[in-house]
Amino acid sequence: MSENGAKARRPLEGVRILDLTWLQVGPQATRLLATFGAQVIRIEWREHKAIDFIRYVPPFAPDNATADGGRSQGVTRGRGIRGNYNRSAYFNNTNPGKYGITLNLNHPKGRDLLRQMARDANAICENFSPGQMDKWGLGYEDLRKINPRIIYIQTTGLGKAGVYKDYVSYGPTAQALSGLTYLSGLPEPRPPAGWGYSYLDHSPGYFGAIMLMAAIRRQRLEGAGCYIDMSQSETGLMLSGTSTLEHQLTGKPTARHGNRMPYRDWSPHGAYRCAGEDNWIAISIQSDEQWRALIEEMGKPAWALDARFATATSRQQNEDDLDAKLAAYTIGCERYELMDRLQARGIPAGVVQKASDRFDRDPQLKARGYFVALPHSDIGTWPVEGFPAKMSRSPAEVGGLTHRAAPKLGEDNEFVFGELVGLSKEEIAALTEEGVL
Amino acid sequence: MNDGNLSNSLAGFTILEIGEQPGDYAALLLAGLGPEIIKIEPPEGAESRRIGPFASDARDPEESLFFWRYNLNKKSVVLDVDAPGAERTLAALASRADIVLLSGEYETVARRQPLWQRLAAENPRLIVCTITPFGLDGPYRELKTTDLVQMALGGIMAVCGYDPDKDHEYDTPPIAPAMWHSFHLGGEYAAIAIMAAINFRELSGEGQFIDVSVHEAVNTCTEIAIPTYIYSGQVVLRQTARHAATIITHARLTESADGVYMLASISPFVREQRALTELADQLGITHVLGTPEFTQLEKDDGGAAALYRNDILVQIIEGLKADDLFHRAQALGLAWSPIRRPEDNLSDPHFAARHTFAEIDHPELGRTIRYPGTVASDGSAPHFLYTRRAPLLGEHTEEILQRVGVSQAEKNL
Repeated sequence: MSENGAKARRPLEGVRILDLTWLQVGPQATRLLATFGAQVIRIEWREHKAIDFIRYVPPFAPDNATADGGRSQGVTRGRGIRGNYNRSAYFNNTNPGKYGITLNLNHPKGRDLLRQMARDANAICENFSPGQMDKWGLGYEDLRKINPRIIYIQTTGLGKAGVYKDYVSYGPTAQALSGLTYLSGLPEPRPPAGWGYSYLDHSPGYFGAIMLMAAIRRQRLEGAGCYIDMSQSETGLMLSGTSTLEHQLTGKPTARHGNRMPYRDWSPHGAYRCAGEDNWIAISIQSDEQWRALIEEMGKPAWALDARFATATSRQQNEDDLDAKLAAYTIGCERYELMDRLQARGIPAGVVQKASDRFDRDPQLKARGYFVALPHSDIGTWPVEGFPAKMSRSPAEVGGLTHRAAPKLGEDNEFVFGELVGLSKEEIAALTEEGVL
Repeated sequence: MNDGNLSNSLAGFTILEIGEQPGDYAALLLAGLGPEIIKIEPPEGAESRRIGPFASDARDPEESLFFWRYNLNKKSVVLDVDAPGAERTLAALASRADIVLLSGEYETVARRQPLWQRLAAENPRLIVCTITPFGLDGPYRELKTTDLVQMALGGIMAVCGYDPDKDHEYDTPPIAPAMWHSFHLGGEYAAIAIMAAINFRELSGEGQFIDVSVHEAVNTCTEIAIPTYIYSGQVVLRQTARHAATIITHARLTESADGVYMLASISPFVREQRALTELADQLGITHVLGTPEFTQLEKDDGGAAALYRNDILVQIIEGLKADDLFHRAQALGLAWSPIRRPEDNLSDPHFAARHTFAEIDHPELGRTIRYPGTVASDGSAPHFLYTRRAPLLGEHTEEILQRVGVSQAEKNL
């Protein structure tokens, strides 16, 4: 039971987060906290360089999208206006459920207001370059004097402590350093394929949410504060599997294996081309029984009955030839139809789904209600990515307390500075005029 | 260690873990925060003991490095949970537990689920989290999967791989980045949902059921791919070691003087232009960067200017060893890095200073092994703390059963 005797409905009810993060890695964590009912207040500033850069990343909502005319309301696709920071697709997907305000931290009055807000905030999150908040007098040591219970998390590529504390890094930098880029791809002498996006802008956000919720629980129970110096490259190492262990025990350098599976007796194991343009299916044979089922499904071609392919060991020894022959079969098949046929025989197989397949076709995502339609104050209602678990008592709500997709820049100034901070309309107007809000 | 250190934030919690890989990892994450994790294994050992690589060619289930890596800090109890007589023992364990993790194929988890519904009715504070390939409902729930198949269906594979050839045809397959990332994603989201449920329980006194779908977890993790498609109808194209995009961007993988690929690029920002010029000067490369001649070229033909800059960039990378270039570039504010193997970081002073690796004693080997052990520091110590190697099969059966008042002889009765 919560303090007022009513049953709590959301896990993070009553929790206020000051969110100074930008791009993906910080906002990923606060998106998850908003999903569980925290009051997340995104803080940006109006100058071009202080607005979250991903507000400028294309594509944008089409020009004909309006407050009540978004994708879910039938607006057609089209090219949007570049540079309109309230209409970015990516920003809208990354920041649902959050409040948005503007506050100039280069202005002394702006910093004073942040200190005032920090007094009754549960947590503050930032991913500036290490040291920026200290320069403003807003670092952990400064804020804990104002609020000893505060939880402070900063996320950087390499961490604030350590030899490389002044180094700069984006997701791809941390992926390269930690070894995740190296691990992905076909064997040497091919170069690594790496990751086609900033994986390390997502995962540290997940870890950030885990740690923040651990810290919030203890803060609620014991009144304890917490300082978290989170690093993307350490997260990369946590995700590097068994590679550092194997190296310590064998002395051998880590190798790449493409889509093959050197850690189990599984073969064939890869992506095979199907009919159509750049269409592929992943097939993963885990046993001789599954292999025989695949032979049956292919109509018992002579090549598949070759003794070289009879056992997992011999298939792995002859895998180049095996892959070529299997690919010669799959190229004639429609990818989903082949997936259905293989699955019907108990063979792990799945289409290499593109975004279009996942959004338009995937019947599982549809049945589970994965995409969530949320309104945005300028561009109407659009689907955003959901939370991947159903919870029986405290369901995830991607629209959070705002029941909205991402905030427009400064959309909630009146609510936050008026109702939460307690400034009068006149004070808000004067501070806005002065370049503070 | 500072007061706010999180490595004991779940002290006093008991977590039961039954099942397969995503559960191994979810419990590992929580294990770094101080709870007691009881891994319940069948008599032949958990499936994850059969995953390589192995410490020796014998491929002994006690020597799976996969099992070692994903089961630090845990205790092992041998109990056949599917045997009819196991219910009394499981009830005794459940009555003192806070969280139960059930992972594996739908068929297995769905078969075990009703028992846990009964046990949760006895202990309403219990949080029961299932992790299955597609979740407990929906038309795909019974499909057979592996990490590769989940990475395919979930959308990560389609955005990872190599550049198309000069005719814009792909002659290489999409790539699933190695090391079990679909299980990582499923496990991370399970831990997130569990932390939310723990907070909810503090407010309400109630536990709950959590149904994690690995498929959906993978789907959340493709950055711009989905919003780009929803808004523009365009599908992003995979490209070698850089972001997938709606167009093929400039290729930029170059090997350093000591044969290490570098992640290095130059944006049009003035600060980066100056840094490039400075590096070229340091290496004695003849160039026209920063001259009026080059400024004119930028005005007249931006493409040619970019190609020229790229040529200088390649000369710089080829002219230095990777680590030397890393530190020189970073000193000038460039976010460059060598594309290291993971183990190259074992000897890096930065990660030593942050205590990133946990040194774990393996008495059976007579040595220690260093494991990646944290993602964050409290300023002096890691927030996640791992101190004990993965358990031997059944190592803690007697200890745990004795505690809940069940004898070895009657555990499956």
